[in-house]
Amino acid sequence: MSQGEVILEARDLVKDFAGFLAVNHASFKVKRGTIHALIGPNGAGKTTLFNLLTKFLTPTQGQILFKGEDITALPPAEVARRGLVRSFQISAVFPHLSVLDNVRVALQRQRGGSFDFWRSRKVLEVYHDRAMQLIADVGLTQYANQPAVSLAYGRKRALELATTLALEPELMLLDEPMAGMAHEDIERIQELIRTASKGRTVLMVEHNLNVVASLSDTITVLTRGQILTEGDYKTVSANADVQQAYMGVGHG
Amino acid sequence: MTEIFGVPTQALFGQLLLGLINGSFYALLSLGLAVIFGMLNIINFTHGAQYMMGAFGAYLVGQYFGIGYWPSLIVAPLLVGLTGVIIERTMLKRLYHLDHLYGLLFTFGVALIIQGYFRYYYGSSGLPYPIPPSLAGGTRLTLFDQPIMFLPWYRAWVIFFSLAICITTWYLIERTSLGAKLRAATENPTIVRTFGVNVPLLITLTYGAGVGLAGLAGVLAAPIYQVSPLMGADLINVVFAVVVIGGMGSILGSVVTGFVLGLIEGLTKVFYPEASTTVVFVIMAIVLLVRPAGLFGKAATTTTGVESTSVGSGLDGGRVLNVVMAAMAVVLMAAPFVVYPQFLMKALCIAMFALSVNLLLGYAGLLSFGHAMFLGSAGYVSAHAAKVWGLTPELAILAGTATAAAMGVVVGAIAIRRQGIYFAMTTLAFAQMVYFLALQVPFTHGEDGIQAVPRGKMFGFIDLNNQLSMYYVVLAIFMFALLMVHRIIHSPFGEVLKSIRENEARAISLGYKTDRYKLMAFVLSTTICGLGGATKAIVFQLASLTDVTSGTSGEAVLMTLVGGLGTLLGPIVGAFVITGMETYLAEWGQWVTVIQGVVFVVCVMAFRRGLVGEIAYRTGKPL
Repeated sequence: MSQGEVILEARDLVKDFAGFLAVNHASFKVKRGTIHALIGPNGAGKTTLFNLLTKFLTPTQGQILFKGEDITALPPAEVARRGLVRSFQISAVFPHLSVLDNVRVALQRQRGGSFDFWRSRKVLEVYHDRAMQLIADVGLTQYANQPAVSLAYGRKRALELATTLALEPELMLLDEPMAGMAHEDIERIQELIRTASKGRTVLMVEHNLNVVASLSDTITVLTRGQILTEGDYKTVSANADVQQAYMGVGHG
Repeated sequence: MTEIFGVPTQALFGQLLLGLINGSFYALLSLGLAVIFGMLNIINFTHGAQYMMGAFGAYLVGQYFGIGYWPSLIVAPLLVGLTGVIIERTMLKRLYHLDHLYGLLFTFGVALIIQGYFRYYYGSSGLPYPIPPSLAGGTRLTLFDQPIMFLPWYRAWVIFFSLAICITTWYLIERTSLGAKLRAATENPTIVRTFGVNVPLLITLTYGAGVGLAGLAGVLAAPIYQVSPLMGADLINVVFAVVVIGGMGSILGSVVTGFVLGLIEGLTKVFYPEASTTVVFVIMAIVLLVRPAGLFGKAATTTTGVESTSVGSGLDGGRVLNVVMAAMAVVLMAAPFVVYPQFLMKALCIAMFALSVNLLLGYAGLLSFGHAMFLGSAGYVSAHAAKVWGLTPELAILAGTATAAAMGVVVGAIAIRRQGIYFAMTTLAFAQMVYFLALQVPFTHGEDGIQAVPRGKMFGFIDLNNQLSMYYVVLAIFMFALLMVHRIIHSPFGEVLKSIRENEARAISLGYKTDRYKLMAFVLSTTICGLGGATKAIVFQLASLTDVTSGTSGEAVLMTLVGGLGTLLGPIVGAFVITGMETYLAEWGQWVTVIQGVVFVVCVMAFRRGLVGEIAYRTGKPL
């Protein structure tokens, strides 16, 4: 499995919301081992595209291939099991579970199905060290035993990232990982994404262009549900259409 | 006499007319439910009681003020609507920021209070209400000079008037500017408020209007059915099934579904009368399998379960809990020497029932409002096995428990296709179906139940006719159930279950097939519930209809709430409190129902952690 091989491919994806084409014949490829950013002005269809790729929405038309296999018809949980894991734009934690329990429930996935209701949960102790390591990586060690609901917004996002990483996904889809984060958090999460991307692939939607510029190998620009252009930051930012469509909307 | 499909036309059209009448009430009631749900996002469980209040309203203003039918048609719904406005203003509005399930529990409690109060004053038997003289009599309808049926004027009026009300309501909501404001406020109350619309007032009036519709249906029903305190309680369970079938998405949808189901019911009475009481529920099951959102429904939105008291997180924590459990076992072992064993055994069996409801509600976020069907069915099978088949008590209890487990697989597989309040309504509707079946099939012996069930000898040598032996067997079974629940919620499975309760979408995105976990939890719960029911039948040597009624299902939820949702010991404490109330306040009759309703309302309004939950919260120890 060499770098440069295509891990995820969208072929001619369409999502029709009662006549409104939120995603309009979009095709693109994500290469293994890269950080790939999906950018575009508000309403460009980024989140819809994201939901299509992780099967939380069903495409009206088109195909999704993950590691060469057609996953278009698979349910979301199955997609996650195959190594394609997403984060949510709105913070997705288990609010009344502790930070530690949040991460451990994700690590627990390695056991396969956890239908063994007759066994003590002490069997989950083997995940303790790994969970604490992940929590330390996102800087939440001191909050490990607090319920997730009590964390500040930026920390919830960090926790969510730790949970996603716990699944050791081959391809990680991050929906605006920096949204709502304080400046000092951004630096840390950016580093974390960089570290985490070693050995895996990241596809992210992100508004913060500084983050996009510094992290991404490839950028796909989406407007009105269509792919406008694709390339590295230099190529994309020099593109006149992008400046018109994206910067023109007033986003810096 | 003419026949169609081998059925006399008179019978056919007579039943169709009756179907249309029933359909009118289904339509009016589900319309009111839909209007309230659209605006408040609450399933109004008081609806049946408010329908009854409408009928009583007409009866009472007639008795005391000599006001006749026609003025009552306006006065009674207004009065009922007014009580609705007061309830909304003083209490219901304080619950909007909570999970919708609390609204459901609150309205259920209010229904208990109202029904208990009316039963106290007017008993359970019906009071007659005359057909207004202007609509007395009827006409003989003919087709090609053949008589097809006799049409009483009053029945024609009910159908016509219900249709007119339904169409008017639909028009008001879908075609007027007031309706536009309503619909906009439903979608996004905050924005509509910034337009200068008084949204809280709109909500209050909507609730009042929806409740008024129930009252109106009650007045219409008064001359057809007798006016009685429980006239709404049975009807509303069918209406919930209608609502699940139609989906809450559209006003027109609920009306059409109501009338069509009434007609189907009427037709079933002609062609296959045995199924007439259950046909609506069978249709519900089919619709849930084929189109989970209901015929006219929008896709269900995920709600995030109820807040529960999960304190502490250590894997090996809960040492305090273990100590408390051990102490409880010791106390229970000594208890029969102090307290009447018959009471203790009842409380222990009911505690298993409450434990099973809490396993779902507290740890999986699923509110089952129909668990009595598992309790009661397990009791019937266990009693039948012991009495008719002559099985030993342990095998009879096993048979009952297995029945509840098997039912859990079927009902669970269908019910988990809907979430939140729909799940609650679906389970309630299934329970009503089981109730009707229990009333009909021969082996349950209808109203009498299965009596004089032999207790027998456990394992061939423990004589259960000895009250103390029986008690310790029950205690052992109870401790087994308790330890089983304890293990389930502290197992790897339990951890996943809690994550689903907290955030189902996230659990899916982590790769958990949440439906399978929910189904597993459901079946485990019905198994424990069945164990309680099967044991109870042997202890009391009786399997009765009471155990399958929706009131019994509600009691289990009440016990869980009183003791503390999502605490292991809460349901047990709740079971002892509520069973104690029933046993020791029995001479107060219907006031017990009223008190239960008040306890429900107080718990939902001000004491949501429950007794054990409060202690757990204050000490920071999981209990």
